[in-house]
Amino acid sequence: MPFKSNTLFQNYFSAFKDYDEVLKPDMSINPKWEKVFNNFSKIGYNNLIAKQDEVNWLMEENGVTYNVYNDPNGMNRAWDLNIVPFVIHESEWETTIERGLKQRAELLNLILKDIYGKRELFKNGIVPQEVVFAHRGFLRQCDQIQYNTSKNLQIYSADLARGPDGRMWVVSDRSQAPSGMGYALENRYALNRVVPTIFENINVKHPLSFFNDLKQMLLDAVPQNKSNPNIVILTPGPHNETYFEHAYLGSFLGYPLVMGSDLVVRNGKLWLKTLKKLKQVDVVLRRVDDFFMDPLELREDSYLGVAGLLEVVREQQVAIVNPVGSGILENSGLIPFMNAICNYFFKEDLILPQIASWWCGQKKELDYVLNHLKDLVVKRIDRSNRENIFFCEFLDDAALAKLKKEITLAPYQFVAQEKISFSTAPNFVNGTLEPRKVLCRTFAIAKKDSYSIMPGGLVRVAAERENLFVSNQRGGISKDFWIVSDQLQNPLRNYSWDASSNNYVSDINDLSSNTAENLYWSGRYLSRALVTARYLRMVLNRMHQDQYSTRKSDSESLTILYKSITNITSTFPGFVGKGSEALLKNPLKEIISLITDEKRLGSLAQNMASFNNSYYSLRSLWSKDMWRVFDGIKKQWQKFNENDDFSINALSKFLDRIITRLIAFMALIEESILVNQGLLLYFIGLQTEQAMMHVEKCRAILVINYNEQVQYEILESLLNSSESLNIYRYSYRSYLSIENVTKLILLDKDYAKSLAYQVKRIEKDVSRLPYSEGANTITACKEKIMKAHTKMNSLHIETLLKLDEDALIRQNLDDTLAEISDLLHQTAMEISNTYFNHAYTQNQLTNQNFPQL
Amino acid sequence: MLGQTVVDYKLVISPKPTEFSEKYDFFGNTLTRFSIQEQHKKLKVTALSKIFRDHTLVPDIYKSTNGQAINLMDALVALKSQTIENLDVKQFMLESILIANISAEIRAYAEISFKPNRPIFEAAYELMQRIFNDFEFNPHVTNVATPIHEVMIKKKGVCQDFAQIAIACARSVGLPARYVSGYIETLPPPGKEKLVGTDASHAWFSLYIPTFGWVDFDPTNNQIPKNQHIIVAYGRDYYDVPPLKGVIYSSGKNKMKVAVDIRPAV
Repeated sequence: MPFKSNTLFQNYFSAFKDYDEVLKPDMSINPKWEKVFNNFSKIGYNNLIAKQDEVNWLMEENGVTYNVYNDPNGMNRAWDLNIVPFVIHESEWETTIERGLKQRAELLNLILKDIYGKRELFKNGIVPQEVVFAHRGFLRQCDQIQYNTSKNLQIYSADLARGPDGRMWVVSDRSQAPSGMGYALENRYALNRVVPTIFENINVKHPLSFFNDLKQMLLDAVPQNKSNPNIVILTPGPHNETYFEHAYLGSFLGYPLVMGSDLVVRNGKLWLKTLKKLKQVDVVLRRVDDFFMDPLELREDSYLGVAGLLEVVREQQVAIVNPVGSGILENSGLIPFMNAICNYFFKEDLILPQIASWWCGQKKELDYVLNHLKDLVVKRIDRSNRENIFFCEFLDDAALAKLKKEITLAPYQFVAQEKISFSTAPNFVNGTLEPRKVLCRTFAIAKKDSYSIMPGGLVRVAAERENLFVSNQRGGISKDFWIVSDQLQNPLRNYSWDASSNNYVSDINDLSSNTAENLYWSGRYLSRALVTARYLRMVLNRMHQDQYSTRKSDSESLTILYKSITNITSTFPGFVGKGSEALLKNPLKEIISLITDEKRLGSLAQNMASFNNSYYSLRSLWSKDMWRVFDGIKKQWQKFNENDDFSINALSKFLDRIITRLIAFMALIEESILVNQGLLLYFIGLQTEQAMMHVEKCRAILVINYNEQVQYEILESLLNSSESLNIYRYSYRSYLSIENVTKLILLDKDYAKSLAYQVKRIEKDVSRLPYSEGANTITACKEKIMKAHTKMNSLHIETLLKLDEDALIRQNLDDTLAEISDLLHQTAMEISNTYFNHAYTQNQLTNQNFPQL
Repeated sequence: MLGQTVVDYKLVISPKPTEFSEKYDFFGNTLTRFSIQEQHKKLKVTALSKIFRDHTLVPDIYKSTNGQAINLMDALVALKSQTIENLDVKQFMLESILIANISAEIRAYAEISFKPNRPIFEAAYELMQRIFNDFEFNPHVTNVATPIHEVMIKKKGVCQDFAQIAIACARSVGLPARYVSGYIETLPPPGKEKLVGTDASHAWFSLYIPTFGWVDFDPTNNQIPKNQHIIVAYGRDYYDVPPLKGVIYSSGKNKMKVAVDIRPAV
């Protein structure tokens, strides 16, 4: 064997304990893995390290993430894919595993039908009814619902692991909204892209026909005969642990990704709220758990579902995949009865073995469990999270006594299982191979008369070497899962997850109002961030120059600029309100706060954080380049915070970098998203915010009449802050005068940074927004912006700049700008009211906030 | 339903619902769903029912020597047999959403009345009396979401709390018990005219006595319900059968007022 001398395997043998996938009990190598390791040997030790790095880089680049709840660093943690795949030969796969999965899927489908139907399993004494009735996943609201699909269980997923007897065992069943198939697919693409050589001479089966079956299943689920059904993917939102996968599948399968708030029930049907109208939805592929699907009939405090949905399901006007209520099958209480159920329905035994289990609802079993507790693993029948699994061998006497008491009080809620040591497989860690426990998630999709099984699946690896427990929730490692065939396989068509494949929104009328709102706010936040960053940079540069100047006018104009910062960013009291004197003596402190304080409303950091949220909600729209630039901004920010150098120079350099990246990002948005996909909303948000801040700038700088020197300095600063100084010089070739500056930045209809231009542009974009048929063609928002436009058109430079009697302020200018500012804010509000459905919040008619089981 | 028949029924809702449907729920109760799609400031739901109520049509436990005699031990054995009726009643032995993790305190409270050799009817009757005496009726202490363990400690609450305490007690010793949601007719003082709206929503509990059947008990009024009790729905606890629940989309707050009026049909 070449492996023994292979450095990769150096420590593998000493660590070898239990059953291993590669090493057979007689320490020989499993021949099914030989080709894989031959390919690894060819790549070479050093290259492997580099390739693993490249896989990690690609996952990060592609934005493949997994969120970990309750972990401050856990949001968008990069997905961890190990370079060593998990290998099973098709001879084993087809003869037992695939057959076993089909049998189990079919069996669970029949159980599901029976539980919510005739309940013959109870009547015939095959299953004690408490196993179902005491399980919180049994939803009485779903009883007797009829479906017109050939199967009730449309998607099924099983976690498998290899037991001591060398067979693959079923560890648990997933039936509500199983996750992982998207990750499995991306794992395959990533590995294939980074290390195509490890596939050399190996016939790995690809899962593409499985995904076709998935699409066909969704089409078959359409309840009413329709030529163009609408299928959506329902996600709990960007904070969900597997949100990446929801977006990925939406993009890969070509279905819109929606949240509960995008949907509404009306007239007995389910609708998607789009900008223009309601669009009927026929099939929902859901990633929201049972309880949360309908706040009217299920958990009343849920914002993730749609009120009234279950009644639409009952009336067969929409299909939910998997049906609501299928969580009852995620039930370890069923395990002891599965073989009997299999014999009841099929007159045959289970093909795939399960872990020996005892349901405590029966006297004999309860006694056995209580007497052998220390050797068992105890679970509640309806909980699968780690907190509710008791590895009794590790419990002290007090904990054991407590558990015994709990079991005795409601024995039917507990199941005890034998402890099993499952097999290990090699994992590439720090340049060597280590044996680690693995768990294989497999997937089945309902077909008319059977189930289609994904060849392979998602393999998850224990995070630590000695760890028994494999879970994504804790942030684990994954593997590509290879089913190796003796037959030549078609090569994997490459698919690259990118915005280009995301073309399901063909018409702005179909844009979901939620997406529209996020785009609109992305525009507003980005614009606000950019204007704020530029203005602060301009002031910092002035401060820098001022360090070497003794001119009085310099310090006077700087004070005006400090004060204007507070006005423009609305960060009162700041430099103008209470305590401003102290701040004006040490302005840098306030400026640092306005850059870095994420909790401060109006600060750059807070704007970026807000944008961050919209960004993740829209993730399926963004391209890879955008992801990269965005990541760059985050990294700059991190570096800046770590550096701890908050000198004027450092701050201004930092702003330089952020500004460049923001501009790059904004340019990418414009080239990556079509106007019909919602870019229009982004533009409206962007322009509106820009115009609003522009007005504030002019009010802060132009209204008060200063002496000539100061006037000159602040006009120059104003032009600088919006990068307009060159344009001014080009256009006027003259000394800075308030008349010319006002003409350029307020009244010039052709200059993109003037207010007149911006208002005209907003009006043009707003009038392109869809409006409902029959409604007044002049929407409220259009009316407001038209008013602003008319006002802008009526302005004359002389009246505008007229000084009041004391020659102190330009009252006309201030009044006009105030009016425009009001109209812009009203436009923004009317846009929200008309197009974004969040004016009303979901409430309960009566207080029903009950503790949930 | 034995002892109670609906002669006439009408549901008046304003504003007029866009969608309206009636179905049976899991427990066999009638469930009406409706949705209103127009803006409104006030929702009014009036259920008008003409009921024929004659409690003498319900099997009388006092006329059943066997029913009165069955003790806890016998009852637990009887519940073990796999009959269709047992399958139906046994779901009411299990924990439910509002009656879960039944504490040792509740079990101890139950075991004062329920003993292995004592007839369960007698025990349940005593339990009803004890709740009536030990608990103070006070509408300002609890709401529908107050956990039973808190009610047990405070010994204060309203009819639904008392019903749920009794159910928890029965289940803690292994007996099926269900929640009854309904109305109660209040009688005016002798010689006085009855006022409108003085009747009330009410709740009590029902215990399953093997070989006999369900027997209702009202711990709030310390009596076995008769004609003054109108049954609306059965469930495992309040959660299964709230009289009215729903989701509204609004920007403001909302309040609910309930009035019940029961009078002889003319």
